[in-house]
Amino acid sequence: MTDEHLLPGLSAPQGTAAQPVSNLSWLPRHELTANTWNPNRQARPEYRLLAVSILENGWTQPIAARPLGDGLEIVDGFHRWKVAENDAVAALTGGLVPVVPLPETDPALARLATIRHNRARGVHHVLGMADIIIDLLGMNMSAAEIGTRLGMDAEEVTRLADRGNMRARHGHGGFGEGWVPG
Amino acid sequence: MPRFVKGTTPLAANLRKARHKTPAGADVWTLALQRMTQLFDTFDKTIIMFSAGKDSMAVLEAAIAAATVHRDADRLLPLRVIFFDEEVIPYECEDYTRRTFARPEVAGEWYCLPVKHRNGCSNTSPWWWPWAPEAADLWVRPLPPEAITSLPGFTIDPPAARPSMPEANGLFTRPSDGNVALAMGIRASESLVRHYAVTGRPYSHDNWIVPYGNYNGGRGTAPNVWKAYPIYDWSDQDVWAGPATLGWDYNQAYDMLEAAGVTVHHQRIAPGFGETPTAMLERWGVCFPDVWERMPERVPGAGAAYRYGRGELYAYRARIPKPAHQTWPEFIAGRVAKQADPEVQAFARKRMRLFIRRHYYRTTAPILPSTRHPETGVDWNFILKVATQSDTKERMQPQMRIVLLPDGTRTIESWRAWIEAYREAVKNGATAAELGHPKTLPPDPWPLVPAYAREQLPGLAPEDGADDR
Repeated sequence: MTDEHLLPGLSAPQGTAAQPVSNLSWLPRHELTANTWNPNRQARPEYRLLAVSILENGWTQPIAARPLGDGLEIVDGFHRWKVAENDAVAALTGGLVPVVPLPETDPALARLATIRHNRARGVHHVLGMADIIIDLLGMNMSAAEIGTRLGMDAEEVTRLADRGNMRARHGHGGFGEGWVPG
Repeated sequence: MPRFVKGTTPLAANLRKARHKTPAGADVWTLALQRMTQLFDTFDKTIIMFSAGKDSMAVLEAAIAAATVHRDADRLLPLRVIFFDEEVIPYECEDYTRRTFARPEVAGEWYCLPVKHRNGCSNTSPWWWPWAPEAADLWVRPLPPEAITSLPGFTIDPPAARPSMPEANGLFTRPSDGNVALAMGIRASESLVRHYAVTGRPYSHDNWIVPYGNYNGGRGTAPNVWKAYPIYDWSDQDVWAGPATLGWDYNQAYDMLEAAGVTVHHQRIAPGFGETPTAMLERWGVCFPDVWERMPERVPGAGAAYRYGRGELYAYRARIPKPAHQTWPEFIAGRVAKQADPEVQAFARKRMRLFIRRHYYRTTAPILPSTRHPETGVDWNFILKVATQSDTKERMQPQMRIVLLPDGTRTIESWRAWIEAYREAVKNGATAAELGHPKTLPPDPWPLVPAYAREQLPGLAPEDGADDR
């Protein structure tokens, strides 16, 4: 991508100290509130996967929030905030969640920021995923365990492990009987 | 008994005829070889229409196998194989076609032409043209070295004059070629409409060979050209039995779709911007990122369809709700008006009129908002879907809710749902105008229900005992 695709005049603060992540703090979960516009919906398996991710790797990504009244309103990280309700997740940090406070942010910019945090990511190429599954199987992780820890059902694990090879997966019944209409 | 009038024959009657299958006493591979041999014996020329998809793979393999052992093998081989490259296709299709065209039995012609295609992703750009010269800087793939970019009779400028696929197919033959068969991989199990296409002449011996000119309202072309469907009776598993048991080469794009969780029946390698673009686009980004990357900028609306194609914006399962102050005909007229192209609007109106006419041909019952009539399959939500997607390829059909069981009885549960929905609508104040019904709304649906259903649903009879139809 070339720079001319980027809009001129965007002005985040300069320097590492001025970046929002440099002001990370641990706050009680109840000091944050959900916003009213978040369009992101997470299916139950992905929600469970988020819990597994935090319970296995710990907190790696903070919640971004803007000041609103006396509290903070979530701009990105609603599902991380939601999953912190879970007792096991809460017990990790004594009920505290990592928060990156944004400066005063107007309602329009807050909405833009929410969408950009969600949309500015790619998709996982299916063969890249297949290679990872095959690697994990080679590292002696069982298909069932991969399924649990990656939030995949058995069908998805098998399809990826086969790299979708149609010759191996279909048509072994041979040719069936033909028919004529009438 | 209803009278059957040409052109308005209720679909249910057609399907009853079409659905009967008589076992042929041989496996589909043997039959396909026999059918190909019959084509070689009967027609002056046989052309294989190749798409790089699995069905054309099966047709081509059958053609090669039958031609090789044919007494006229010297005349038949190499086979004339025609491939229309639609530009927005996975690179795996290109690789498979290149391998196929390198086979000695194949004389391939690889066309990269701006054929007029439907773009169901966009209301404002309802057509698009692969390899359009004016969009060369946006092409999602480089032009393949084998590409043929002109064809006598194929108008490239102005864009509005570019032919559609059925019209383009007619350009390959001349009257001096004699009788020509275009062998195509159309199968009955793909959909009800395709089932009917290959079995609609149940009393004809060669149901799988049909005149080309009948296509597209007779606008097709030459009377000497025929379409032939030698694998019409194959199932998905029959097709894949070729690679699995006979070792055929195949298009690895299917491996991607399979790995990504798309079921065999839904695996399509065509880009699918058609009427229902949508379900497949979601998988495209996962399976074919190198093509996908350039697609949202190439095909207007592709980005929107990718994100929202599975929702009400594109009438996929969910529908935009009708505002209470509008009647259904008003609401639908407004949706049709959102299509920018008058040709697409006209298509939508024509198809909606057809389905509404068929409904009233069979019954005097009003059309309900979201409960399909058991015998016609029509409700306003279906008509709304036609309005949104326009059905320019004439592939949409209402789904009958009545199933004829082997013992001759009919399932009547759909009647229960319809009767209850009707009473609910009346209770909520539905009017004839709102439902677009030409007469006064009958206060109770019971007289509109046929005897076979009333007999089995006595509990639903109205309390005043009115039983007159």
